[in-house]
Amino acid sequence: MAKTVFVKDTAITGKDRTRDFYGFFLGGLREKGLENDVQLVRVADIGVYGQGMVVRVLPEDFLYVNVQDSDIPAVITESVIGGKPIKDKLFTQASKQARIVLRNCGVIDPESIEDYIARDGYQALAKVLGEYTPEKTAQEIKASGLRGRGGAGFPTGMKWEITRKAPGDQKYMICNGDEGDPGAYMDRSVLEGDPHSVVEGMIIGGYAIGASKGYFYIRAEYPLAIARIEKAIEQCRKHGILGEGILGSSFNFDLEIRLGAGAFVCGEETALIASIEGKRGYPSPRPPFPSIKGLWGKPTCINNVETLANIPVIILKGGSWFAGIGTEGSKGTKVFAVTGKVKNSGLVEVPMGTTIEDIVYGICGGALSGKSVKAIQTGGPSGGVIPKEYFQTKVDYESLQKMGSIMGSGGMIVMDEDDCMADIAKFYLGFCVDESCGKCAPCRIGGTQMLRLLKKVTDGEGTRKDLDQLEQISFAMQKASLCGLGQTAPNPVLSTLHYYRSEYEAHVDKKKCPACKCEKLIRFLIMSEKCVKCGMCFKACPVGAISGNRESGYLIDQTKCVRCGQCFEVCKPRAISRS
Amino acid sequence: MAKITRKDLEALKQKHTGEDRNWIRVGFSTCGIAAGAQEVYDTLVEESRKHNADVEIKKCGCVGMCSAEPLVEVHVKNMPTVFYGKVDKEVATKIMEKHVCGKMLVNDRIYDMRLS
Amino acid sequence: MVKAVINGLKVEVPEKTTILDAARKAQIKIPTLCKHPDSYLHASAACGICLVRVKGSKKMLRACCTPLEEGMDIITHDPEIVAIRRTVVELFLSNHPNECLTCGRNNNCELQSLVADFGIREEFYEKIVKDIPKDDSTGNIVLEPRKCINCARCVDVCQNVQDVWALTFLHRGFNTRMAPAGDISLADSPCVRCGQCAAHCPTGAIFEKDDTVLAWKALRDPEQYCVVQIAPAVRVALGEAFGFPLGANVTKKIYTALRRMGFKAIFDTNFSADVTIMEEASEFVERFAHKKGPLPLITTCCPSWVDFMEKFHHDMIPHFSSAKSPHEMMGVLVKTYYAEKNKLDPAKLKVISVMPCTAKKFEISRSHDMSASGFQDVDVVLTTRELARMIKQAGIDFSNLPEEDSDHILGDYSGAGTIFGATGGVMEAALRTAYSFVTGKKLPKVEFENVRGLKGVKETSIKIEGAEVKIAVAHGLANVEYVLDQVRKAQKEGKPLPYHFIEVMACPGGCVGGGGQPYGVTDELRTARAKGLYSDDEAQTVRCSHENPYVQQLYKEFLGKPLSEKAHHLLHTKYQPLPIYRR
Repeated sequence: MAKTVFVKDTAITGKDRTRDFYGFFLGGLREKGLENDVQLVRVADIGVYGQGMVVRVLPEDFLYVNVQDSDIPAVITESVIGGKPIKDKLFTQASKQARIVLRNCGVIDPESIEDYIARDGYQALAKVLGEYTPEKTAQEIKASGLRGRGGAGFPTGMKWEITRKAPGDQKYMICNGDEGDPGAYMDRSVLEGDPHSVVEGMIIGGYAIGASKGYFYIRAEYPLAIARIEKAIEQCRKHGILGEGILGSSFNFDLEIRLGAGAFVCGEETALIASIEGKRGYPSPRPPFPSIKGLWGKPTCINNVETLANIPVIILKGGSWFAGIGTEGSKGTKVFAVTGKVKNSGLVEVPMGTTIEDIVYGICGGALSGKSVKAIQTGGPSGGVIPKEYFQTKVDYESLQKMGSIMGSGGMIVMDEDDCMADIAKFYLGFCVDESCGKCAPCRIGGTQMLRLLKKVTDGEGTRKDLDQLEQISFAMQKASLCGLGQTAPNPVLSTLHYYRSEYEAHVDKKKCPACKCEKLIRFLIMSEKCVKCGMCFKACPVGAISGNRESGYLIDQTKCVRCGQCFEVCKPRAISRS
Repeated sequence: MAKITRKDLEALKQKHTGEDRNWIRVGFSTCGIAAGAQEVYDTLVEESRKHNADVEIKKCGCVGMCSAEPLVEVHVKNMPTVFYGKVDKEVATKIMEKHVCGKMLVNDRIYDMRLS
Repeated sequence: MVKAVINGLKVEVPEKTTILDAARKAQIKIPTLCKHPDSYLHASAACGICLVRVKGSKKMLRACCTPLEEGMDIITHDPEIVAIRRTVVELFLSNHPNECLTCGRNNNCELQSLVADFGIREEFYEKIVKDIPKDDSTGNIVLEPRKCINCARCVDVCQNVQDVWALTFLHRGFNTRMAPAGDISLADSPCVRCGQCAAHCPTGAIFEKDDTVLAWKALRDPEQYCVVQIAPAVRVALGEAFGFPLGANVTKKIYTALRRMGFKAIFDTNFSADVTIMEEASEFVERFAHKKGPLPLITTCCPSWVDFMEKFHHDMIPHFSSAKSPHEMMGVLVKTYYAEKNKLDPAKLKVISVMPCTAKKFEISRSHDMSASGFQDVDVVLTTRELARMIKQAGIDFSNLPEEDSDHILGDYSGAGTIFGATGGVMEAALRTAYSFVTGKKLPKVEFENVRGLKGVKETSIKIEGAEVKIAVAHGLANVEYVLDQVRKAQKEGKPLPYHFIEVMACPGGCVGGGGQPYGVTDELRTARAKGLYSDDEAQTVRCSHENPYVQQLYKEFLGKPLSEKAHHLLHTKYQPLPIYRR
């Protein structure tokens, strides 16, 4: 391979390039007459953050960080020409990501079964059908320590075993693809990027529990995922991987797709079953658990998309291999959808036990430029916030729970200093109130009352008594709600109240929003002494609340202003105050 | 392809892995499509036809760098395999012209993230 | 059997017993708003008040739907549990209008009692009550969705017990509300007015339309001549409202009370039940012994069942007995026979019926046949619950009333007439008479125990002159489908009929469990009320309808013989399919 050097001399936004590092490096190469032999490439991102200029020399793959202009000649002579590393500049960083679930995502053509087979596809299925009894299959998953990735973290192997042992002539496998947490889309990506691995997981699960029929329950808002699963099922049927006598064995299994109409609560197992049966998506009390009495009253095993995508790898590499990854109580990897105020939003897959800091800063590059991270929120509307002071926390089921949040399905929303915690709590609670099925009173009435109280707080009309009421309803909802949605809906409120009580108190006592977010509590003003009369605010205002011209200056009409903050963002001389 | 048995699987796997070829993968999940992957894909196909380039252009899922979509991964023999992010029509044209045909990497668009 | 401990008390209960029921056996009352003690209803787990915990565990369980397990150590009341229950009750209160004083369930409301028990003296949370309009389109069952607490009892009973599917929940979250499916009016829905929803509702969200005002108006009008009849099942249920033991027969006290309220004549639907048997048994004999008309013959005393059949099973119309229900027969006989005999102007006669039923309110204007006398045969229908209220309004000390008799001759009944109020009763009464009609002999033993009891579908057969009469008795409309499908299957396959005679009553337990009866119905209560009726039967000297001398007198003086032209004109009706409800 030709010699190649990657340099990273800018932030992603490209705005803060301070030195012509690239130019210096190119000059250095020219001096040695190497400009035609070595390709010098300026890259947009190199995956290392807060380490100044970064240089990567290929094909040797030496990575240097904090490279100064004066270091360039040495890098060229020693590494580019000499092919040797400069030891004290070398940056070694073990990859923070580990790809099990996403192993094929972005690698194979999701619509090609041949591509999947070329990457060991359906080998695991062949292995269990040829070598394993159903008992042994469940045993292997049990040994792996895999826990459900939908949120609650129930051991998958145990679920399989219970369903297998439950009496019943007909059993069902269900893949729960009703992903709905705000900001979470791991399952969608897996269904879209590697549908066959989920199908394979379903067939193996069906074999292990003794089911002959499985359902994909996918929300209708995921048309691409549905199309790709549909195609995968069709290909499997054609090739004898679904249907009668799978891969020449005596095992029969078939799959069907059921579309969810977008109700968040239908991700709850019993509500999901009701939905598949064509009933109103109401959760029902447990016991009986679906493993004993599920779809159409038959033993049913419901697994999440990500859980199922793990199955083929575990079968192929062995349960003990998988159990070697992660922490004591949480094995394997977890995919997170990191979104919000972060440089690189997207999907990351990390071994359980990785710290939040590694994810937010190490992989995702930290806050957007000019801001600083305040906290993250995990577990969607059922989770809580974790302030940056606790970013050493490891992501696993137990640690997150200890912090007052939960693993959830894998949404991780990064918040910065502009985010008001009461407002965040209001957002998540509002989501749960919208998505409540309305069956049980604690969730239906309690959620609505809490939302009303939070609105009062963020509008600056709240009192200390309202905060007490919030807590009181929260406790009742946690204990008295019928399903997980209502039981966990108060979590964002409780966790923000726990970590950021002073912010709430500022709202109720001083009628101030410290993050300057709550629109009823802030005002934008143009400070004439700083104003350069450029007119940018005038152009940016979407509601025409700013009047004036370049001679006389500008003025904000508070009665028209909707507090969107656009003028504040565009004002270069920072002549607009927000208070 | 007819119904396959366990024995056929291994053979199929061998058949579909094999020689080193030039390829381009375009991220075609919801994130990619929303960011404009279709236009990028069409441009790449059109340009490769124009240049009669020896490259296979494929659609694939999301690698996880959603903020950098549309994402294009390029593998050309004897060159490092790289991701280009935030690719538009112009960059797609450059990728075909410079990278695939000219064996020169395109500046400022590479997302060198080494995912695993 | 499962052995466990509740609040330190050892309990032993059969497997699958819920914690709620097990606690009740240990004299521990766990409060609940959504779980009705009636075993026909499922635990919806909606209210979140019956929380308990396993000792030492933080998690709380719903006692209504969690079975007690071997070795469990349950705590039903501790400070945290009580505090959470209180919060939930306060939340309910914040979502409920403060209209107790004018509510149909004032003093008899489960939410009201719970709020009182918790001693809530202040509304802690701001009121958030949605303004949803009342639905009184049916004129007999009124929906007041603002007062609904979404306990799901009505929906459960409507869909799963009665198989009618008129009621459902609409929308989601805070906007969830009980309503006729499709948000149409109840009158346009498949509702059959059985009133089981109202009988099980914990609050005033569903109740019978109150017609006591109409009754008082008629009674106080000197121009009107008010006549009253009471249905079989009323006599064994009304006592509950005045502290009598379950199933106590208070017939003669009711007569007294009605007379004191101002009714000019006190009649008994039991008499017209005997007339119904004369007609229906003759119809059966015609079809069975003389092969005139299709078999099986199906009883039609229950207006909800008639409505249900017209809506969902109208292929069965040829099988329906054309005999009107006893209460309609009484109405028409009062305005013809009784009026003629006593030289009264039928235009000034008001017939008021006291029924265990909400559908009877609908039946009186069901078709033109219900005005066979030339006037509407029955003017006002009151439920048992309404009569109890009227007695209280009239200032009558019911429990200490002397016992009086009804008026002749429309108030004299046989034992067969009184058992009409229990499931299987119509069948039993009809068999007693049909046997004699066919054989001309007296039955050696009048009791048919096989058709009694609370089994959903009772199938049996009897021998009449060597011929086997196969019968089925169904109660609770969800049980009808099975019986009718047996018939359809046999008809389709050309096989012998599975049944010759079918009795259907819409409400579980028959009229004793009717939608207009006092609240809190359970199987224990249904059994006790039915027992009251069977004791009444045993106490009668005349046990068969055709042996009732006053019935004989009626036919001699007025109708001629059963199925005569006059009888047909006055006592029979027709049915028509209502084809919009195809399932």
